[in-house]
Amino acid sequence: MDWQGQKLAEQLMQILLVGFAVVAFATGYALGSFQTMLLVFASGVVITTLITVPNWPLFNQHPLNWLDPSEAEKHPKPHVANSSSKKKTNKK
Amino acid sequence: MHSFGFRANALLTFSVTILALICAMASLSDNLNSPSPSAHVQVSNINRFQKSKGNDEVSMTLNVSANLQSLFTWNTKQVYCLTNSYAFVFLAAEYESPKNSLNQVSLWDAIIPSKEQAQFLIQTKNKYRFTDQGSNLRGKEYNLTLHWHVMPKTGKMFADKIVMTGFRLPEEYR
Amino acid sequence: MGWIGEAVDSVKSLRIRQVLSQAVSLGMIVTSALIIWKGLMCVTGSESPVVVVLSGSMEPGFKRGDILFLHMSKDPIRAGEIVVFNVDVHERQDTEDVDVLTKGTAVVCPILELVYLSDIFLQHISRRDTFYPSEVRIGMKPNLKEMKPKKTTGDNNMGDDRPLYAHSQLWLQRHHIMGRAVGFLPYVGWVTIIMTEKPIIKYLLIGALGLLVITSKE
Repeated sequence: MDWQGQKLAEQLMQILLVGFAVVAFATGYALGSFQTMLLVFASGVVITTLITVPNWPLFNQHPLNWLDPSEAEKHPKPHVANSSSKKKTNKK
Repeated sequence: MHSFGFRANALLTFSVTILALICAMASLSDNLNSPSPSAHVQVSNINRFQKSKGNDEVSMTLNVSANLQSLFTWNTKQVYCLTNSYAFVFLAAEYESPKNSLNQVSLWDAIIPSKEQAQFLIQTKNKYRFTDQGSNLRGKEYNLTLHWHVMPKTGKMFADKIVMTGFRLPEEYR
Repeated sequence: MGWIGEAVDSVKSLRIRQVLSQAVSLGMIVTSALIIWKGLMCVTGSESPVVVVLSGSMEPGFKRGDILFLHMSKDPIRAGEIVVFNVDVHERQDTEDVDVLTKGTAVVCPILELVYLSDIFLQHISRRDTFYPSEVRIGMKPNLKEMKPKKTTGDNNMGDDRPLYAHSQLWLQRHHIMGRAVGFLPYVGWVTIIMTEKPIIKYLLIGALGLLVITSKE
């Protein structure tokens, strides 16, 4: 799942669950049945699980374009004078 | 949201939170209901009224009619109702027996599981013993009270009562 | 060589800081739970504001594993109210011995609130339970000599056309009562019931949580 997919999944989950909760409460109250409310909400949770938990292709539409390693060698980073990289090299 | 487990966890947490929220809302919606229950209790007969082992004991037949249907909402599991006798017994200090300023004795109770059964008219003997601690029941005035508890499926419990006054026990044992 | 030492030090300090912050956040969780509990105790006035129903004696109203929220106000307990009370076995044995009971209640002020339970209820009482008080009498301490025969002659009393409810009495006093039930939540208490009845599951759960804490670095 890519970055945008993760964001989408989280938003979808929240919107769907809140939506199902509202629907469940409304139907339960209208029909005067607590059980109906629970059932509607439970089915809503199942549907949301099916939509947002598996790694659907929908969530992989914005893959990160990694550079090829050979490309990286061709274009060395111009300012990598950071301490971290230095330390690593020193250790070695 | 990067892994399967993480997403499942987030979904579970969020859905349980929302479930708690809608249950709370369901419980709150009970407050919108303004019940208008009615009840009437009659003592149709005093079957037995005697002193046994120093304590007065009464056996009576009660006619209980009530309409508690308006108590039922969609979040109601059952209504427990109970008839009480409040016999106000004030004893003078010279008696050896315990002096009570208030006696409440349950006479009859029932569980009403559904709205259809919430309107009823029954004739019953007192289910629980009506005794006094001592022998002070002759000619005593008492109230009969119908209490009820509304037990919800979730949330807040409601309780209320209807008091019926002006009952009197006979002057003589029978 | 100085470089390496510095690097190792920084890594070490990072570890310690992480461990410390984890410990602090764990402490926060524990203390906030404690704060909520104590806060509820203050607000409700009950020594244990949330209880789990342990027995099925109140079915179908309250089942095993349901949760009750208690409130303890100064108002006197009346017949028909749903109260939760604590009876420890020790005291229940005491009530059979009238002399010991006399000693026990001697300190209580003259006006007592008394509720008495029938034999049938008693059978259901484990250490803690809910019930509807069927009788409330307010006044002075009952004459204990008068109570004694009632306690021992359960069978005899059945003979003379009395309802089934007789006669082993238990007198509840204010300090036994933890509060009256005001709120209700179904099924949630099963977690506690399972954990107390099957300690293995509790240890497994704690172990799994500990493992999670150790393994997850984030």
